[in-house]
Amino acid sequence: MAQKRIELPQGTLDLLILRTLALEPQHGWAISERIQQISSDVLLIQQGSLYPALHRLERRGWIKAKWGTSENNRRAKYYELTKTGRKQLELEQDSWKKLAAAVAQILETA
Amino acid sequence: MISDLLFRLRALFRRGAMEAEMDEELRAHFENQVAKHAASGMTREDAVRRARLEFGGYEQVKEECRDARGVGWLETTLQDVRYALRMLRKNSGFAAVAILTLALGIGANTAIFSVLDSVLLRPLPYQDPAGLVMLWENNSQHPNPHNTVSPPDFLDWQNRNTVFTELAALFDQHANLTGNGLPQEVILEDVSANFFSVLGVRPILGPGFTPENGKAGHDNVVILSYGFWKERFAGDPEVIGKAIALGGHEQTIVGVAPENFTWFIKDGSFTGAKPEMWTPFVFPKTFSDRKDVGRFLTVVARLKPGATVPGAQSQMTAIAAQIAEEYPDFNAYWGANVVPVRDQISGELRPALLILAGAVAFVLLIACANVSSLLLARAAAREREIAVRTAIGASPWRIARQLLTESVLLALIGGVIGILLSVWGANLVLAASPKNLLGVSSLPVDWRVLGFAAGATLLAGLLFGFLPSYIAAHSGISATLKEGGRGSSAGKRRGFARAAFVVGQMCLALVLLAGSGLLIRSFVRLAGVDPGFDAGHLLSFKISLPTSKYRDDKALLTFFQQLLARISRLPGVRAVSMCSFPPFTGLGSATGVHVLSQPERSLMDLPVAAVRMVGKNYFSTMQIPLRAGRDFNEQELTEERHVVIVNQAFVDQCLHGSNPLGQKAVIYMKSLEESKNTPSEIIGVVGDVRQMGLDTPAEPTVYWPHPELVLSEMTIVLRAEKDPLQLVAAVRSELRQMDPEQPMAAISTMDDLLAGSLARSRFTMLVLGVFAALALVLASVGIYGVIAYSVTQRTQEFGIRMALGANQRDVLRLVLGQGTRLAFLGIGLGVAAALVVTRLMATLLYGVSATDPLTFTAVALLLALVALGACYIPARRATRVDPIVALHYE
Repeated sequence: MAQKRIELPQGTLDLLILRTLALEPQHGWAISERIQQISSDVLLIQQGSLYPALHRLERRGWIKAKWGTSENNRRAKYYELTKTGRKQLELEQDSWKKLAAAVAQILETA
Repeated sequence: MISDLLFRLRALFRRGAMEAEMDEELRAHFENQVAKHAASGMTREDAVRRARLEFGGYEQVKEECRDARGVGWLETTLQDVRYALRMLRKNSGFAAVAILTLALGIGANTAIFSVLDSVLLRPLPYQDPAGLVMLWENNSQHPNPHNTVSPPDFLDWQNRNTVFTELAALFDQHANLTGNGLPQEVILEDVSANFFSVLGVRPILGPGFTPENGKAGHDNVVILSYGFWKERFAGDPEVIGKAIALGGHEQTIVGVAPENFTWFIKDGSFTGAKPEMWTPFVFPKTFSDRKDVGRFLTVVARLKPGATVPGAQSQMTAIAAQIAEEYPDFNAYWGANVVPVRDQISGELRPALLILAGAVAFVLLIACANVSSLLLARAAAREREIAVRTAIGASPWRIARQLLTESVLLALIGGVIGILLSVWGANLVLAASPKNLLGVSSLPVDWRVLGFAAGATLLAGLLFGFLPSYIAAHSGISATLKEGGRGSSAGKRRGFARAAFVVGQMCLALVLLAGSGLLIRSFVRLAGVDPGFDAGHLLSFKISLPTSKYRDDKALLTFFQQLLARISRLPGVRAVSMCSFPPFTGLGSATGVHVLSQPERSLMDLPVAAVRMVGKNYFSTMQIPLRAGRDFNEQELTEERHVVIVNQAFVDQCLHGSNPLGQKAVIYMKSLEESKNTPSEIIGVVGDVRQMGLDTPAEPTVYWPHPELVLSEMTIVLRAEKDPLQLVAAVRSELRQMDPEQPMAAISTMDDLLAGSLARSRFTMLVLGVFAALALVLASVGIYGVIAYSVTQRTQEFGIRMALGANQRDVLRLVLGQGTRLAFLGIGLGVAAALVVTRLMATLLYGVSATDPLTFTAVALLLALVALGACYIPARRATRVDPIVALHYE
């Protein structure tokens, strides 16, 4: 594929989705657009892989889905963060920051 | 967790709605994306293509979503099962062969497991059975490690040990039950009063024995076995307090043992049968003097909490050494042997059963290899189907799971049929096993057996399903689609796997055949052993006269002599006599013998000989040849004349070549003091007779005429002109006329006793033989399948070869060559493996070594021939290929 940028590390997609949904409930396409925008198109997400992740998070009870109407007046499935999802986001953010800091430190000093 | 489950269930039940929602969601995304690209100025066509690339495989995403929702598990399994059932129905021939093969394998394994479980694994019907041990004496000069115990040793063990909470002693005997109904001989066990409390068994009725019952004057009580109570008293709950007459003594019933309670220790048993009732045994005061009593007790003890078997053994060894030092005349060389009750009861059977279990596992492996091989062949035919499924989005794991589901389903159907077969098979095993060998009367199919069958089924399904699924899941799609499924790398891997299966099957089959061949050879050897007498038309039965009624030697002698005289006059009787312990009726008496011409030695150092008391014409009745000297004369058969006849083994082992006739020997039978035993003069030598079994060589034996030591219990042997069992009624009526209360016991023909002594080796030979035959059939089906498949695959090639001038013989050789290479490789490996494995069964063999070259050659040849035969059928078909048809093939 032409626009190959950085492949997402395993497991980080969940974190990004949770973070995106922390602002407001969103439907699938909007989530993928938003992640793309915020990351300034550096991250590559195979758009198809977003959906299994959404369904997985829903099963774990971190997000819940309901049908609503989108900006262009179409039925769309909106996802929003649950209480446990919010806790999970904090946890994962924490551990991600620690990990990132640790890796950065190694890269600088080694 | 609950919400997770609800989510999954919703996913399952609202499947249609969920699918529609998912579809709608994905399509919405897709359309948004297309709209976005179109807005940036792309043509609609380009926008769609771009969006599709960015999105990835649509069906694949849906599949992953389903997995993520957790529908996967339950729903796809159901889907897989439905699909698998459809595939099996479509290929019913394949399914039938696979299921039958598996049913045989699983059924045989379950049957053997249920036997193994009942005999070796199930807890014994005693409280905390692991804490129970048998205590035996053993003598470093004699081979028997389980010698019965002398009462004074028992008392000393009891007093000196610190490792047992309690010891109980017992011995069994025949007793005459008189009173209401027919006189009957019963098996009675005399037990110390603490016997039931040591085992931790409480009667289901009545109080049982109290410690008081172990004292003289309080011992006229009896506990009945459950079976006896049911049979003789019709399960009467009011039986407690009633009295029965045993050997002329009234005994009050104080208990009925539980239904599952059994107690039978073959090594210490004088009757060779399970006891039907128990009476308390009172130790006479004289029993503390070693001079007055022999070794006859069976001893069971309970370990103290925390005590171990090795610990108990080392203490008992020390105690026995002390006793041997204190009483060298009676205990020199005698040690003590501690044996866990479980080992005692099933120890003898364990090697045979474990070998059968191993053999039957081999059969299952061979069966699995066959089914696996069939699946591989079918997977090759389905390669395109699988490639197409992969292409439209099925993951390798999904494909593998579909195929595994098919195999597990096959295994399940096979398993269910197998369980049905096993019920039948286990009963067949039980029926084939001689009485008392397995010690169980029925084999219940319970959750343990079902659990085993389920485990075996699942394992088999995964085992034979794994490789075909793995290969199928990892074959490249594009290669398959291009090559049309032939000559692909997966095809090569499959071919290799199937060849390896054939080699493995041949190898396993050879091991089984070798084992079974060795058992057959031993059995033939054993059956060919000359017992030393003629067993044809010979009837034996036991008469035990109650000493309360026949009070002195004269009464006993007269009774037996009159009985023999009466029987000899019956029509159809060719000869009749009696013996205290005729062959194949179990342990007999034995003692030290001092031949006066030999140097003086202490009692413990003397050679041991078996002692038999016989009636008139015993040797001619049994057809035991007289080698030298003469038989007993009339006078010697009516009064003590101190004469003895010895057997050849006695001459060889105790006389060291000197002329036996006229020599005198002291036989320590009546007392352990020399002065109390008058020496007997040897007047004859007879041939050896095997006593314990055909596999046990004859021991040195001395025969006394009955008056020399008058026993109240003798076995009558009767040679009939025709079927000896037809004479039983006539004999019984003679006996009735002499004493209406006197029963006949242990009525049997000598042929049956002989067959009984062959029973164990016959049993293992039969069962292992059946498994080996099964293995042979399965392995030949296996090699046939592989060769037949390869012939089909190579039809075109054969056509070309024949078109180019190859004749039928060339093709035949080509195909047979392929088969024989595999077969020979397998057989070679099998011989190597069998050389190692058959050593494990050395204890089951008689007169043939575990690596017997003749057996190995014969089974290797047999297997090679069968394998060749199995290859020949498809090879013939290959030669009939019509080149024209073959070239149009495909």
